[in-house]
Amino acid sequence: MHIAEGYLPPLHAAAWTLAAAPFVVHGARCVVREVRERPESRLLLGAAGAFTFVLSAIKLPSVTGSSSHPTGTGLGAVLFRPPVMAMLGTIVLLFQALLLAHGGLTTLGANAFSMAIVGPWVGYGAYRACSAVGLSFWVGVFAALSLSDLATYVVTSVQLGLAHPDPTGGVLGSIGEFLGIFALTQIPLAVAEGLLGVLVFRILARIAPEELRSLGLRKALDENDENTVTATAQERD
Amino acid sequence: MSAPALDTAAWASPWRRYSPGDKVLLSLGLVISALVLPPWPASGLVTAIALGLILGPGRVPPHLLLRAARGPAAFIVLGTVSIAITWRTSGFGPTVTSESLTAAASTLSHAVAGTSAVLLLAATTPMTDLLSWARRRGVPEAVVDVAGLTYRLLFVLLESVSAVRSAQTARLGYTSRRATLRSASGLAAATLTRAFDRARRLETGLAGRGFEGVMRTVGEQQSSSRSFELWTFASLALVVAVSLGVA
Repeated sequence: MHIAEGYLPPLHAAAWTLAAAPFVVHGARCVVREVRERPESRLLLGAAGAFTFVLSAIKLPSVTGSSSHPTGTGLGAVLFRPPVMAMLGTIVLLFQALLLAHGGLTTLGANAFSMAIVGPWVGYGAYRACSAVGLSFWVGVFAALSLSDLATYVVTSVQLGLAHPDPTGGVLGSIGEFLGIFALTQIPLAVAEGLLGVLVFRILARIAPEELRSLGLRKALDENDENTVTATAQERD
Repeated sequence: MSAPALDTAAWASPWRRYSPGDKVLLSLGLVISALVLPPWPASGLVTAIALGLILGPGRVPPHLLLRAARGPAAFIVLGTVSIAITWRTSGFGPTVTSESLTAAASTLSHAVAGTSAVLLLAATTPMTDLLSWARRRGVPEAVVDVAGLTYRLLFVLLESVSAVRSAQTARLGYTSRRATLRSASGLAAATLTRAFDRARRLETGLAGRGFEGVMRTVGEQQSSSRSFELWTFASLALVVAVSLGVA
């Protein structure tokens, strides 16, 4: 859900750009520091950025019968952490604006705020919260991906509602309208993206344990091993 | 999946010879004019100038432009409908008023004009030119390098996605909702592992060539054109004068 160019009034576009700027600058500093300490990491970061962009080419089934693509913000947050995603997400949004005409230049700040900042932080927060209360890694992944998707959708609706208040219902009425119209695709997409995340990590645990270890996600491997052991024991019994 | 339509158009456009800075000035000038000036006639003028330049001197084929415009069109239509619909002051349920229709028409014209102006930059300037320009403008080297690598790797990954999806489709991987979800997750996982594999192989290759951390590439030198800048200022002045004169 990228806000198209020209859709936000100039003051709103400037305000959202200012709101996103500190996070993006912090993310850029993290990237610069990481690259200075380990020059080879720029290749992995480039690969992560390309992966996030390419996720938009993967179609997911939607309840309405149509198909939609995952936002990738939650998956990116769990894999690469939110500060890096603020920078990578902004680069990807710029690419999407200039290569796919999704989004825009004056709306880049607003789109970065919802998709590269709030989405990843909410997703990562949900993932950590699930881990802190002892829920399984898979519940955490599902919560991270679906909540980051929902958070992005809610923030975008708020941005649009603030920019275009309803003549009778005001800002709240307008936010309600945008939430209602986009809910048709976004809520089923959030559920589908949560399920997708769980399946992606199960596959990664099987075929790419080294990658998961290098990203600090040993828990995925441990829980996948436990599940395999339990399933084998049940089959034996 | 093929390369994005706008990227194909940008590499083939004769306007590639102009400096990215000049084109950023023109595109942003048009975007800001469309945003701050009254929708009529500014948005109409900006749309006409941007589309005229894309299809005329920019020589972008109309079918590529139409393909690129499909994505933003869906959002613009949905967003405009949301603004056009309002809640009744008496009774219950949505309705359409002249006030809400005016607001929707105004937003629609701003969005169409702004999107056309961004398309002008996107369809005439390859990403590598913009990244080199950003580097010269002081954007941190590491950030430009990561963006450049992202750009280069995404074509490899788009090809991988296309190949894996064709194989999955041939194996009836998208015949039901359940199969689609399973295939999509396999596709995402395969893409991630291929991305990391490519990055590692690139790292090994660069290490063998004495990589020291700066990945500059030789690009075409595009210096600023005085006549291009004069045309830019003349076009923007025309938009402002006509809009304020009419308003």
